[in-house]
Amino acid sequence: MTGTANDSEFRKQLDDLSLAQQRAVGARFVHSVKDLTDDARIDVAIKVAQDSEANNDEIHSAFKSARSAVLDCYTRCGADADWATQASYFVARAASDVVMPEKEISNNNPAWQAAMHSRMARTCAVIDTDTTEEQQETEQQHRILDHFLND
Amino acid sequence: MTSVEFLQWVRGPGLAIASIIFVFGMTLKVLEIFMLGRKKNLAELRSSGVKEGFRTIITRFGAVDRFTTRRTMFTHITGWVFHVGLFVAIFLLTPHIELFKSFLGFGWPALPTAIVDFVTVITLITLLIILFHRITNPVLRYLSVGEDYVVWVLTFLPMLTGYMAYHHLFFPYTWLLGIHILSVCILMALFPFTKLTHAVTLFFSRWYNGYMGGQKGVKQ
Amino acid sequence: MSEATLERGIKALKEQIDAPVASFFSSCVHCGMCAEACLFYTETGNPKYTPISKVEPMRRLWEQEFTLIGRIKKLLGLSKKITDEELSEWQELVYNSCSMCGRCTMVCPVGNDITYMIRKFREGMSAAGHAPEGLIGATTRAIQIGSPMGVKFPALKAQAGHVEKEVGFEIPFDKVGAEYMLLMSSMEIMNYPEYLGAVARIFHQAGKSWTISSEAFEATNSGIQIGTSDLARELVNRIVEAAEKLKVKTVISPECGHAYTAIRWEGPNLVGHPFSFRVRHILEVLDEFRKDGLLRTEGFEEDKMTFHDPCQLVRRGGVIEQPRNLLNMVAKNFVEMDDHGKMNWCCGAGGGVSANEDAHELKLTAFKRKKAQLDELHVDTLVTACANCRIQLEEGLEVNDMDIPVVGLTEMLAEHLVETDSKQG
Repeated sequence: MTGTANDSEFRKQLDDLSLAQQRAVGARFVHSVKDLTDDARIDVAIKVAQDSEANNDEIHSAFKSARSAVLDCYTRCGADADWATQASYFVARAASDVVMPEKEISNNNPAWQAAMHSRMARTCAVIDTDTTEEQQETEQQHRILDHFLND
Repeated sequence: MTSVEFLQWVRGPGLAIASIIFVFGMTLKVLEIFMLGRKKNLAELRSSGVKEGFRTIITRFGAVDRFTTRRTMFTHITGWVFHVGLFVAIFLLTPHIELFKSFLGFGWPALPTAIVDFVTVITLITLLIILFHRITNPVLRYLSVGEDYVVWVLTFLPMLTGYMAYHHLFFPYTWLLGIHILSVCILMALFPFTKLTHAVTLFFSRWYNGYMGGQKGVKQ
Repeated sequence: MSEATLERGIKALKEQIDAPVASFFSSCVHCGMCAEACLFYTETGNPKYTPISKVEPMRRLWEQEFTLIGRIKKLLGLSKKITDEELSEWQELVYNSCSMCGRCTMVCPVGNDITYMIRKFREGMSAAGHAPEGLIGATTRAIQIGSPMGVKFPALKAQAGHVEKEVGFEIPFDKVGAEYMLLMSSMEIMNYPEYLGAVARIFHQAGKSWTISSEAFEATNSGIQIGTSDLARELVNRIVEAAEKLKVKTVISPECGHAYTAIRWEGPNLVGHPFSFRVRHILEVLDEFRKDGLLRTEGFEEDKMTFHDPCQLVRRGGVIEQPRNLLNMVAKNFVEMDDHGKMNWCCGAGGGVSANEDAHELKLTAFKRKKAQLDELHVDTLVTACANCRIQLEEGLEVNDMDIPVVGLTEMLAEHLVETDSKQG
C-alpha cells in the first residue's frame, strides 16, 4: 500500500488536493456507500462533483437537492431511530459535502467530510450488528484515494 | 317603599351587608389561594426571585415586546383608559371621598367635579367600545363566557347610574342615588365570587410569575 | 403508561393545582392578549389556540374542587364534569399546538404563567390516557432503552469513534473524577455528531477534564414533555447516579432546550433533593471558559448572521447573554431579530411538538413566524443552540425555499479555535 496507510496520512493527502480534486475524490467516497440509499439526488451530486467543468450554478443546485435529501431522511426528535434511514441521511450529507458551494465550505475539506459522513452511513447500516464493515469502508476509502492519486 | 326609605336602606343596611360579604368573600378568596401552598424550588437558584417578583408587579403595567404589543395595542389602550377612569371616579370624586372619610376618618384631595364628570363619560364610552370589541373580535368571542358579560354589567352600572344621578337624568334624584348605591352594593357583593377578584389577585399572579422566572435568571 | 383512566387523570391533575395556579385562574379576565403572543394562534388565526383556553378543563377542575362557589355549584349539579371526550378533544390543544415556549407567560397583563399550567395539565392528560402516540413511544423508549429515539450506547461509541479520528484524540468515557460530565441529546448523536467533535476540541484546548457516562449520556427527557413526573424522575435519577459515581463537579446539558429545563430546573424538584453537582448548559460552560481566557478563537465570520434563541434557554432558562458573548467572539456582522432574547419567537417544534406526528403540519405553519422574522433581516446564516430547533429551522427554511444555512453555535466556535499543536490531521 502506498501513502494512505493511516488516517492522518489519508487526511493530509486529501488536504493537499485542489478543491475540484477534493470534490471528485469525495464523490467516489459517496459512490462507495451509494448502496445505502436509493435517492436519485445523490447520483446528481456525485455526477456534478466529478465534473471538473461544472459551473457554480450547477454546483449550487446539486447542493440544494442534496440538502433536501438530507432533510427528507433525518430522524425527528423523539422518533424511533430507523438506522437504515439514518444511513441514507449520512449518505445524503456526504453527497452535500462534495457539492457544497465554496463560500459555505470555510475551512473544511469536502473530501474529508464526505469520507467521515460515508463512514457514519456505513456505521448506521450495521449499528445493531457487530461487524467490521465500517473498518472495511475506511480501508476502501484509502484504496479509492490511492487509485485517484495514481490515475 | 318611598324613595327616601329606599335610599336609607341601601345606604345603611344594604351597604353594610355588601361590605361584609365583600370582606368575607375576599378573605376567603385569598385563603383559597394561599392554603393550596406551593413546593419549595430545590434547584440551584440564580436569585431568590423576590426582587423580580416585585419588579414584575410593576413591569406588567406596561408592554414587553414589539410584535404582541402592536397587535394588542387596542386592548392596552382601552384597558388603561377605563381602569384609570374607574379609579378617578371611585376615589377622586368629592362625595365619594366624604364617604371614605366617614369610614376611615381621613380623606384626600378631590379632583374638580367637572373633570371627574368628563372622565366618567370617557370611561362609559370606553366600556361600550370594550363590549363591542368582546362581541366582535374572534378570539374574545371564543373566550368569553356569561360571567364576562355579567362582570361588564356590574362595572358599567355604577358608572352609568352615578353619572345619571349627578345630572338628574330621567328619574328623581333620590331614586337615582339609591339605585346608584344599590348597583355598588351588588358589585361589592359579587366581587369576590367573579373574576373581578383579579383587581387583587393579579398582584399575586404577577409576583409568582416574576418570582419563578427570577429564580431562573429571567429578568422582567 | 398502562391503566390510564379518567379517574387517574383527574386525581393527577388535582395534585398539580397549587397556589400559583389558583391565583392565575382567579386573575384571568379573558382579555385575549395571550393569543397574540402565541405563534400557533398568530400563524393560523384560529381562536381555539388562545393559550389560556388550552387549560380550560383544568380551570373548571380548580373551580369545582378548590373554590366555595365551585363546590356549591357542584353540589347543586350546576357544574360541567370533565369527561374523556373533552380531554380527548383537548389533546390537540395541550400537546400539538403548544411548544411550552412561554411567550404567553411574558405578555399576560395579570401575570399568569400559562406555560406553568400547561406543563401541569399534561400530567393529568397523560395519566388519563390522552397523550399523543408519538410522545408515548418516545417516553417508553427513553425508559426502556435509555433514549427517546432508541439510541443505545454502541451507537454513541461508534459516532465517538468517527469523532476521535476527526479530532485526533480519545473521547473520554466513564472517567472517574473528571470535572465535567457531558450529556448529549439523541438528536446530536444521530443527526449532528459534529457537536461532539466541537465540544471535544474546545475542552482539549481549554485543558479541562471531562467525560461521558456510558450509563447516562442521554440528556433529553420526554417525561417532562408528555407530563409524567414519575418517568421524568427516573430519567433524571439515572443522570444523578452517573454523575455521583463519576464524582464530577458539573453536568453539561447539551444544545437542546427542554433537556436544560429537565435537568437544570425540574431535575432537583423531581428527585426531591438538591444535586451534589452543578448543572450548566454547554453555552454557560463555554462562556465561563471565555471569561477565564480558556476559549481562544481566531478569525471572524464575515457573513451577516443572527441567533435563534431556544425558548427553554432564554425565557424558561435565563441563558440570555452567554450566546451573545460567544457569538461576538467570532462574528463581525451579528444582528438581532426584532423580538429576541427572552422575547424571541419559538421555532414551532419544542415541548414535544416535534415528537408528535399529529402536529407535523401545524409546526410548519407555526414556523411562518420565524420566517417573517428572518425575512426582515436578510441574513446569510442562522445560528442556534438546540438540535431540535435546528432541524425544525432547516426543514422550515427548506419548505419555504429559503437559502439560509443553520449552524450550531458550539460548532461555529470550534471552527475558530486557535490551532494548537495537539490537533493532528
